[in-house]
Amino acid sequence: MQDPMGIPFYAPVFQVLLVLTFALHILFVNFALGTLSVSIYGYIRGEANWLRLASSLAKATTTNISLAMLFGVAPLLFVQVLYDPFWYTSNLLSAVWVIGFVFIMMIAYGLTYVFYLKGGPKKGIPVVFGIVALVLFIIAGVIMHALGYQLLQPEKWLEWYVRQGKVDTSGSVLHAFQLPRFLHFLVPSFAMTGLFLMLYAWYFRHRSDFTEDYLIWVGKLGAKMAFLFTTIQVIVGFWWLLSLPSTLAFTTNPVFLVALFFGVTFLFFLYYIQGDPIRYAVSSIPMALLTIGTMAYARETLRTKYLASFGYTIFRYKTNLDWGSTVLFFLTFVVGLVVVGYFLATVYKAGKSRETYEATAFMNRWGKLSIALLLVWLAVVVTFGLVITLRS
Amino acid sequence: MYPIWEVPYISAGLVLGLIAAFHILPSHLSTGAMWFNIYVETKAYRENKPELKEFIKKYTLLLLVFSYVLGSLSGIGIWYAATVTNPRGISGLIHNYVWGWATEWVFFLIEVIGIFIYYYTFDKVDKKTHLTIGWIFALASWTTMVIIVGILSFMLTPGKWPKTGGFFAGFFNPTYWPQLFVRTAFMFVIAAAYALACATRVKDNTVRTSITQVASLWGIGGLLLGSLLLFWFLNTLPEKSKELLAILPSVELKGGLFVSLALLILYFLFARLKPLKINVYTAVFAIIVIFGGIWSLERMREMIRNPYVIPQYMFSNQIIAHTVEAKGVQSEEKVISEKGILKVFPFIPEGTREINQRNQWEAGRLIALLQCGSCHVLDQNGLRAMPQMIGRMNIKKGKGFNDQEIAQVENLIDSLGSYPYMLPFLGTAAEKRALALYLYSLAK
Repeated sequence: MQDPMGIPFYAPVFQVLLVLTFALHILFVNFALGTLSVSIYGYIRGEANWLRLASSLAKATTTNISLAMLFGVAPLLFVQVLYDPFWYTSNLLSAVWVIGFVFIMMIAYGLTYVFYLKGGPKKGIPVVFGIVALVLFIIAGVIMHALGYQLLQPEKWLEWYVRQGKVDTSGSVLHAFQLPRFLHFLVPSFAMTGLFLMLYAWYFRHRSDFTEDYLIWVGKLGAKMAFLFTTIQVIVGFWWLLSLPSTLAFTTNPVFLVALFFGVTFLFFLYYIQGDPIRYAVSSIPMALLTIGTMAYARETLRTKYLASFGYTIFRYKTNLDWGSTVLFFLTFVVGLVVVGYFLATVYKAGKSRETYEATAFMNRWGKLSIALLLVWLAVVVTFGLVITLRS
Repeated sequence: MYPIWEVPYISAGLVLGLIAAFHILPSHLSTGAMWFNIYVETKAYRENKPELKEFIKKYTLLLLVFSYVLGSLSGIGIWYAATVTNPRGISGLIHNYVWGWATEWVFFLIEVIGIFIYYYTFDKVDKKTHLTIGWIFALASWTTMVIIVGILSFMLTPGKWPKTGGFFAGFFNPTYWPQLFVRTAFMFVIAAAYALACATRVKDNTVRTSITQVASLWGIGGLLLGSLLLFWFLNTLPEKSKELLAILPSVELKGGLFVSLALLILYFLFARLKPLKINVYTAVFAIIVIFGGIWSLERMREMIRNPYVIPQYMFSNQIIAHTVEAKGVQSEEKVISEKGILKVFPFIPEGTREINQRNQWEAGRLIALLQCGSCHVLDQNGLRAMPQMIGRMNIKKGKGFNDQEIAQVENLIDSLGSYPYMLPFLGTAAEKRALALYLYSLAK
C-alpha cells in the first residue's frame, strides 16, 4: 500500500527529520499547555507574584501555540512520506475528528487570544475563557493521540471500518485511546514549563523592571514543577512501558534504554539544582533536549517494532532519488537558519533591557545579509524556473 | 484504495473546497500586507509622521490574529481535508513534492517568528532594525506563494512531469507563471481591503484619510493588473480545460466573478474619493464580496482539472490511470478491468468481494462510492446528487428490474468516457451490472 511514486531520498534521512521535528513540536505543545495552565492558575490564585506571572505567561502562550503548530507541520509531512498507508487509513477511519481538530484549534486559539488580551482580574473577562481553551487543546491532543495510536493497529482496521458486512463511511468515531501513552505526552507539559520558568527568571535577571525577589520566586517555582512533574513522568513512563505488548520486547530495547538513561539522569539533575535554579537554567537546556530527543527516537523505534510485526519497514520504501529537490531544501534550510538566527538574536538582545535596542554594526550587517539571501534565493529560483519553462 | 469518508449532501470534496477558499483570504493578506506596512512605515520615518504607526500596529495585530491563527489553521485544514478526501492524491503529491513543501516550511518558519517579532518589537528596537524585520517578512511570505503555486499549478498542467517524472519539470509548468502573477496582483487587493477595514478603526482622521486613499490605489491597481493577467492565465490553459471552462461552471459562478470585480473597483474608487465615508461595516462587506470573487475563481480553477486530481496520472476517484515510466508506476486500468475493483483494493468487506444475487445492490453501491463518490453524493439531494444525474439521463424505473432496463443503464455507464469531465467505468462485467442495478434503483 506504499505510494507507488516512492520517496525522493533515503528513508533514514526522512526518519531523522521526522523524529527531530516531532521533538520540537511536542516541546512547544508542552510549553503551550503548561504556560496556559500556570496562567489560569495564577489568575485564580490572585496574589501579586502569581498575577504578574500569569500575565506574562498568557502572552507567551500565544507564541507557544503558534510555534507548536509550525513545528507540527514538519512531522505531519514526514509521517506521510514514510508511513502513508498507516497514517491515511487511521485518518479516514476518524475523518470527522480530523476536520474537527482544525476547528477545535481555531476556537481554542481564538479564546486564548481573548484570555491574553482581556484576561486577568482587572480586565473583566473571566478566567473561564482560558479554561475552555485549555480543555479544547487537550481534546485536540486526544485526537492526535488517537490518530497516532490507530495507525499502530492494522489488525483492527477492518473491524473499525466494516460494521455488519457494510462499510461505515461516517468517519465519526475515535477508535483507540491508551491512557498511559497519552499521559506520557501530556505530563511533561508541566515539567517543561518548569524549565520555561527557570529560563524566564534567568533571562530577565538584569532587567530593571523585574525585582530579584520575584525572579527568584519564579525560578524556584519552575524548578519545583520541573522536578515534581518529571518524577510523575517517569512513573507514567513505566506504566506505559509495562502495558506494551511483550512481543515487542521494548523493555530491553537499546534505543529505549539510552532514552531511559537520559530521562533518569535529567531527573537527578533537576533534584540537584533545586537550590539555585537560575544558575542552572541554561545548562538544563541540553539535558532536556537530550531527554526529549532520545525519547522521541525511542517512540519512533517503538512504532517500527509495532509495524514490523506486519512486515512493514520504511527501509524498503521504493526510492526514486531526486537530488535536485533534496539540495534545494537543504540549501534553503541553511538560508532559513541565517535569517531566523538574525530574528532570534535581535529579540534576545532587545528583550534584555528596557531601553530601545540599538543594533550594532554587526547586527545591521546580519540583517542586510538576511534580506540579500532571500533576494538571491528568489533570483536563482526564478531564473532557473524560467529556463525550465522556456525549454519545455 | 483507502477507506472512504462520506459527507452527506455536500461531499467530502466540498469540505476541502470551503476550507481552501477561505484560506485564500488570510494567506493572500499575509503575502500582501507587509509590503503595505513597509511602505507606510518608511513614510512614517522619512516624513516624520509617527502618527501613522497607529495604523501599522492595528494592521499588524490583524495579521497576527487573522492570518497567523485562522490562516495557519486553515492552511493545515486544507491538508487534513485533502487527507480525508483524496488520500491517494495527496500522497501522490507528497511523494513527489515533499522537499517542495519542506522548503516552503522554511519560509513559514521565517514568517511565523517574523510576525511575532515585528509586532512585539514596535518602539522597542531602532527603526532600521524594525524595517529590516518587515522586509524579511515580506520577502519570505511572498516566497511561500512562489512555492505553493508550483504544486497547485502542477495539479492543472503537469508540464513534462508525466514523461520525465522530474520535480522541476512539473513545478515550472505552463500555468505556473500566470497563476503566480495573478495571485501576486490580487494579493494587493486583499491587503488593501483589509487595510481599509483597519483604517476605519484609526482615531486620527488625517491618518485614516491618507491610509484609505493610498490603499484604494493599491486595490485598484491590483484589480486591474490581476484582471489583465487572468487573460494570460486563460490563454495558457490546455484545450481540454478551456472546453470545461465553457461548459462546467454555472452562470452564477461565472457571473459572481464579474460582479465582484465590478463592485470592488467601484468600492475602491469611492474610498479614494470619499475616504471618511468608509466605515467598518462597508469595509467588511467589501471583504465578503472579495470572498465571493475568490469562491468563483478558485472553484472554476478546480473544476477545469476534471476528471483528474493529477493530470495524466491519477483520476479524481484516486484510480491510477496512466503509467509513469520515469517513476516506475503502472496504470491500474488493466488490472481493475480484468480482476475487478472489488478484488484489487483493500478495505472491501469480505462478503462483497465476490458479487452474487444477495449482495449485488450493496456491491453496486460500494462501486458507486469508489468510482463516482469523489464528485457525486449518493443522497437524494446535494452536490451533483446521483439520483438527479440518473433522472437527467431519462432513466425511469419501470415495474421491477428487467434486463432491458438494466442494459439501458449499462449503456449509460459505457458512454461515460464521451463526456470530457467524466471518468470511464473500470471493472468486470459483473461489477458493471451491479453498478447499473444500484444506479437504476435510484431512478424514480
